[in-house]
Amino acid sequence: MAATTPQVTAAAHGHAQKGMDTALMGMMLFIASEIMFFAGLFGAYFTFRGQAQVWPPQGFEVDPFPLPAILTVILVASSFTMQYATIAIRRGDRTAMNRALAVTLLLGLIFLAGQLYDYSNLPFSIRSGVYGSLFFTMTGFHGAHVLGGAIGIFVVLSRGVSGQFSKEHHVAVEAVHWYWHFVDVVWIALFFTLYFLR
Amino acid sequence: MRRAAIAWTRSLLALAVLALVVGACAEATPGNQVPNFFPAPAITDQGQASESLYAFIFWIAVAIFVLVEGLIIFAVLRYRRRKGDDELPVQTHGSMGFELAWTIVPFIIVVALFILSENTQQKVDASTPNPPLTVDVTGFQWQWTFDYKAQGLSFTGQGTDGPTMVLPVGEDVHFRLHSNDVIHSFYVPGFFFKKDVVPGRTNEFDLTLDQTGTYTGQCAEFCGLGHADMRFTVQAVSPADFSAWVAKEQEAAKATPSPLPSGAQSLTLSASNTTAFDESTLSATAGQPFAVVFTNNEAAGGPPHDFAIKDPAGSSNLLFTGQPLAQAGQTVTYSVPALAAGTYTFICIVHPNMTGTLTVK
Amino acid sequence: MATTVLPRATTYSRSRAYEWLTTTDHKKIGIMYVASSYFFMCLGGLLALGIRTQLAVPNDTLIPNALYNQLFTMHGTTMIFFFVMPMLAGFANYAMPLMIGAADMAFPRINALSFWIIPVSGLLLFSGFAFGGAASAGWTSYSPLAEAKYSGIGQDLWILALLLNGMSSILGAINMLVTIFKLRAPGMTMLRLPIFVWTVLVTAVLLVFAVPVLASGLVMLFIDRNYGGSFFDPAAGGDAILWQNVFWFFGHPEVYIMILPAFGIISEVLPVFSRKPLFGYKAFVLATVSIGVLGFGVWAHHMFATGAVYLPFFSAATFLISVPTGVKMFNWVATMWRGKLRFTTSMLFAVGFLISFLIGGLDGAFAASTPVDFDITDTYWVVSHLHYVLFGGSAMAIMAGTYYWFPKMVGRMLDERLGKVHFTLMFVGLQLTFFPMHLLGLAGMPRRIAEYAPTVWQPLNVVATIGAFTIAASMLQFLWNMFTALRRPADAPDDPWDANTLEWATSSPPPPYNFERLPEVRSERPLFDLKHPELRKPATAAAVVVSPGSGH
Repeated sequence: MAATTPQVTAAAHGHAQKGMDTALMGMMLFIASEIMFFAGLFGAYFTFRGQAQVWPPQGFEVDPFPLPAILTVILVASSFTMQYATIAIRRGDRTAMNRALAVTLLLGLIFLAGQLYDYSNLPFSIRSGVYGSLFFTMTGFHGAHVLGGAIGIFVVLSRGVSGQFSKEHHVAVEAVHWYWHFVDVVWIALFFTLYFLR
Repeated sequence: MRRAAIAWTRSLLALAVLALVVGACAEATPGNQVPNFFPAPAITDQGQASESLYAFIFWIAVAIFVLVEGLIIFAVLRYRRRKGDDELPVQTHGSMGFELAWTIVPFIIVVALFILSENTQQKVDASTPNPPLTVDVTGFQWQWTFDYKAQGLSFTGQGTDGPTMVLPVGEDVHFRLHSNDVIHSFYVPGFFFKKDVVPGRTNEFDLTLDQTGTYTGQCAEFCGLGHADMRFTVQAVSPADFSAWVAKEQEAAKATPSPLPSGAQSLTLSASNTTAFDESTLSATAGQPFAVVFTNNEAAGGPPHDFAIKDPAGSSNLLFTGQPLAQAGQTVTYSVPALAAGTYTFICIVHPNMTGTLTVK
Repeated sequence: MATTVLPRATTYSRSRAYEWLTTTDHKKIGIMYVASSYFFMCLGGLLALGIRTQLAVPNDTLIPNALYNQLFTMHGTTMIFFFVMPMLAGFANYAMPLMIGAADMAFPRINALSFWIIPVSGLLLFSGFAFGGAASAGWTSYSPLAEAKYSGIGQDLWILALLLNGMSSILGAINMLVTIFKLRAPGMTMLRLPIFVWTVLVTAVLLVFAVPVLASGLVMLFIDRNYGGSFFDPAAGGDAILWQNVFWFFGHPEVYIMILPAFGIISEVLPVFSRKPLFGYKAFVLATVSIGVLGFGVWAHHMFATGAVYLPFFSAATFLISVPTGVKMFNWVATMWRGKLRFTTSMLFAVGFLISFLIGGLDGAFAASTPVDFDITDTYWVVSHLHYVLFGGSAMAIMAGTYYWFPKMVGRMLDERLGKVHFTLMFVGLQLTFFPMHLLGLAGMPRRIAEYAPTVWQPLNVVATIGAFTIAASMLQFLWNMFTALRRPADAPDDPWDANTLEWATSSPPPPYNFERLPEVRSERPLFDLKHPELRKPATAAAVVVSPGSGH
């Protein structure tokens, strides 16, 4: 009789009862906690913005064009390729998944490189008062999360290339793909807030 | 068993009432009172309003305390399992009626308390458009400065007792709070009130005192090493006495200090941080006044310092306090009166942990 | 009755030390959490004894100010992040999977990581003492005092330790939530979860949403201190009040994180030792969820005196949150009412909790009223309140839980007579230490002061110091009880308390895979139902066999 057996195998394979896989649920909750981390930083940003007479302060007006906008396009595109990779493995197409993952990784790394290049050209630093602190902390931690996501994609890509994923078993891809979308959404929020809303 | 439970509950109630009565009768003068549940009446109109509210909440809390603790103790005594009784009691799962009752009644109580609270808060927040007196309070590690700008007076405290703020009763006094460094808090138990002293922000409030007397105050927001010693005094006097005091202080401020005799010894001293003076030893000649040329080497915006000499007999009095304080970057010359031969400790009154040895021979 | 026979797990062939160091078994991890927490409780307690010794005499010069400021900072930080939180995590880790009929947590290796972070971050925190001074800006680390120009390296170590500790909490919370949602035994619907599991669930949600906000604040403070940031120092253009808002947005849910699982423990112990179900299960669940939600809306009541808060909203929300808590008090009393109470040590602590937590709740309500708060905030009234809820509340519940689950965890009973002495000393000590502080606060004694001048404050301070040493004596005696119990043979029965929930339906301690056979789950008291088939309602008599994979 199998009343408890489902749990034992469930814990091992992650699909206990019907519904979301345990690892995926774990990733969703982790993303929720990460959103709250950025919420704290955004809270700080809007507090200063709400209290300031002039915002951004003189000399801190950042231009969304051309580089930040290009980087945004790159990161959003990478979300599309990431989604494509996930859809591919859901129908069992390993080759398409691997290719799309590789492209996503590349786009992510280009984003990071572009971000560093943008940093080097900015006329202010993290030491430049409140705005400098906010700008670099917010975009910097976002960049760190992009890097974390890129590492995740790399791991999933390696596993994918060695044939570990199939139509039935590819939870890691699903998890990483959600994380990557989260990273993209945070960037869109940052881009809008720092470069347009101001 | 039931009788025992009832007897227990009765005696507990009696005890509680007794304790409260005793507490209420205890000696009551604000600032130095024997601690009890009813602090001495506040000396401001606003404080009295707050205190009445406190008393009201207190009695409601006592009622709830007696009721619920009574129920707990009653249950504990009455429903003990008797030896050998292994029968299950009735397995009551709940009651919608009770749930509604003990949700709705407390809800009504807290709504009432909130409304009363807001009414009192309006009284506390009230201010007049042109207050007759404004006092600017500046807190800094670990001392207070009280400025009466309209009267041209400024008082910075010496040592742990701090400065005295003289205030008239019966008039609206407007307070403005400033911090030079970290967060402090302006707290006078006799006011039944405190307000934080926050850098980058000026907190303001009005109070009307209604009782003369001397009351202690103390910093109530942890601010570092000397937080426990950051005290001050409030002296409430009649309006006539207040005017007289203002006039006297204005005269004293005009008086120039007697100049040092020519050829008097001149010592140099400086400070660049809040942990120690730059020089830890000084020497002076006994029996003659001397000058201390004191430079505050802190970077712009840094804390003030000064030079003060402690009583070698060990009391907390200071034989000499350098006034005014040297602000960052300033040099001030202090004229120290003649001292007898001996070894003295000198300190900065703002940062009493900064010490040095003055040898006089 | 649905049952199954599970394959035997392999036995370890390496040393016991290796077994404990590398285990991913939630039961061993739970025990390690509990042991580590008692260790830090003793450290935190020693710090408290230093504080109380200093305060027994006015103008005492025994402990210099600089050291005293480290003592109270480290006392608060240790008790909160290294005693109460990990202890409750330990009980949750141990008991929750058993209570829901699971074989382990959803992510056993992450569970192990969550535990081992604790001693590492604790070491980091205390290393400040070796580097010229531990953190000394209070456990609330207000800015600008916590900035580099006013606080030394101990503060950086404090920040890093809490970032790590926070990571442990977040990972642990994710683990708890996934376990509760996905690994329940068949028949255990959400409304049949033991109340302790509900409180763990809501607490885990609070952790996921609140701790990262603390992390963001800590990160900003670290950047201020080490990378020229300007977040919180007005001298650099920053905002001192911003720190308080960010901190307390975490800080208030934090106090519910520390009390809700304690409520859960009491809600398990009282029904067992009253031999009645918990009164108002559904109301309890609703109250728990309400407290969790409302708890995010009251944070600024810690900041009423700053002048930077919209007082009416936070005052109203604070008054409001007392209602669901009151509902729980009444439900607990109603659970005992007309029951047949057995006063084991665990039950004594539960009753001690009820008596003491009521006081803590009532004196907190005073602070909801802003004009009254202007007098009592930042005084010993608040110290009294927080210790009544955290010691009289959380710690008493922890003691109740320890006496309750100790036999299950290690297969031996704690000595009940020693336990009653422990309870008496601790309860009396608690009242002696913290009740006088109400009066001291009203008399004008501010908190966090290394010394005081008014001699009229001394008598009550002496009473509090005597109380503190009484508590210490009770703890020594308690540790002795645990030590001697562990040396006795492991002969505790499966169900020593005649209890209700699934953890008592297996051996003490349970086998590695937890259950040989699982009883059918038809209510929040599956073991009780198994033992009392005569109480089963005829309508459900037919639904005996549960088919596999039927979930909920």
